[in-house]
Amino acid sequence: MEKVTVKSSLFKKEKLVAILFIALPLIGFLLFTVFSIIATGVLSFTNYDGIRDIKFVGFKNYSDLFTHQIFKKAFWTSVLNTLFLLIGMPIGMVFGVILATFLNSKKIKGKKFFRVLFYFPAISGAVAINIIWRYIFNNEYGVVRFLFGKDVYWLSNPILIKVAIIIKGVWNGLGGTMLLYLAGMQGIAPSLYEAADIDGASDVQKFFHVTLPLLTPVTFYLLVTGLINGLQSYADSQVFAQGDPGAQTIVYFIWERGIHQARYGLASSASILLSIVVMIITVINFKFSNRWVYEN
Amino acid sequence: MRTETMRKVGGISFKTVVYIILIALSFIMIFPYVWMIFTSLKTGLEAMDTTTLKLFPEKAMWINYQDLFKAVPFLKGVGKTMLIEITVIPIGTLVSALAAFSFSKLRLPFKNFFLLLLLSGTMIPYAALMLPQFRVFYALHMYNTLWPLILPGLFGNVIMMFFFIQYLKGIPTELIEAAKIDGAGYLRIFFQIMFPLIMPAIAVQVVFWFTGIWNDFFGPSIYLTNFNTQTLQPMLAKLSSEVGGGVVGLPRIMAGAVVSSLPILVLYLFFQKYFVESIAITGLKG
Repeated sequence: MEKVTVKSSLFKKEKLVAILFIALPLIGFLLFTVFSIIATGVLSFTNYDGIRDIKFVGFKNYSDLFTHQIFKKAFWTSVLNTLFLLIGMPIGMVFGVILATFLNSKKIKGKKFFRVLFYFPAISGAVAINIIWRYIFNNEYGVVRFLFGKDVYWLSNPILIKVAIIIKGVWNGLGGTMLLYLAGMQGIAPSLYEAADIDGASDVQKFFHVTLPLLTPVTFYLLVTGLINGLQSYADSQVFAQGDPGAQTIVYFIWERGIHQARYGLASSASILLSIVVMIITVINFKFSNRWVYEN
Repeated sequence: MRTETMRKVGGISFKTVVYIILIALSFIMIFPYVWMIFTSLKTGLEAMDTTTLKLFPEKAMWINYQDLFKAVPFLKGVGKTMLIEITVIPIGTLVSALAAFSFSKLRLPFKNFFLLLLLSGTMIPYAALMLPQFRVFYALHMYNTLWPLILPGLFGNVIMMFFFIQYLKGIPTELIEAAKIDGAGYLRIFFQIMFPLIMPAIAVQVVFWFTGIWNDFFGPSIYLTNFNTQTLQPMLAKLSSEVGGGVVGLPRIMAGAVVSSLPILVLYLFFQKYFVESIAITGLKG
């Protein structure tokens, strides 16, 4: 009997210690996440600007995003820009998987060198990278004028500036995509390729019928993270485009209206919509993933 | 036999084609950095030369680096970034590791609920959290101080914690149970048994977090608005937007980009295995 009570009091103590050990992350979560998202939600229904008395305005901020003379245009531009910039994602994935195939081949030497080299941009600071590429894309004195001439205004044409950001983004993300595909390829059993050999499959057939289907978990992961990060891009608008309307993204819109112009209500409504979209994408992707993602 | 014929494309072997592509790609990957370094040593006029594409400067202008340090308090910016690193990383890592220990090895009630709760927070975009945080820090007179960038990190890092939990799955629970029976306290078990065991995971995550804080731009750019209070990245961005147009400005900005990239390059060369490991692990388990 005594043993049992000792044990249960030990368990009680362990439970208490266990809760204590997770207390700080939980408090941090309440302070910085729960409080903030609720406050953003509340602010989105107010006219709060840090000066005037706070007043509830119902869904006005939300409707302003879609109907207000001035805000409507800026908001829609930012949405379309953000979506346009997502084009870089599939391009990067195609290049990444091809590159990984090359580096996975047994006959290629110096793999480690190429891997280390290609991945470096992924860990470089966004500011430095944007500064370099902005200089490269300058039509007057950048490197691109030797390829495309001075009359191609990469940094001020609303389409070309997005193309430039996509090119920069593919260069930036290629190493990471390649590494993930490479890790995925190394997990594929060699016996599958041997079986394909016996069936007389060519290298190209093996790539499309063995490698690619088995890499769907990686593709899926890249898709989800790419979408979530892409929808939240900011540094490109701020540093590469220096706020040019042709490359203002949703988060730039939120920053400009919220932090810069102190229109907290309006900016909050945009950020609530963004959060809803991000969460819906996450849920949908995970729900439907098992239909086409290979699992062993 | 068939693959042998497939591998020959117009007399050149497939292998050669792959090597040519890889080397061309290496050139593309490395070119922006090379261009940045050489531009940082040019005169303003050379950098904006519109007639030829010259890689090397006539004469290496090391004075651009001196100018950089004179024009903005660059070293002070580096110091501020380092101040965030050395306060947030040790405390935040300890907090994350303790929480991971609790989640994976202790009898924590409502374990799954708490874990899902914390992980759900990482789904919410920073943009949806920053406005109230900004107002509160502003009201607390913490605008243009480092507090808004330090305080949240002291409560741990959920991504890091999750990584540790995954890692701890590979460590047998019997080890901890045995120590408990011996009457060892929980903190002692943590520091004497857990800590040495998860050291490899900690090393990977610390290198990653260090890089993240070093490169952090969005948060610091919101809270730090002038050269005297700024950390490295927003200072660099402000420098490029303010003096970017001037003839003398460009090489100096490139010098700033070089100085800001250098520590990460060194870290990467020493720990490239960690970086590669980290992306492979988080990638496939996420």
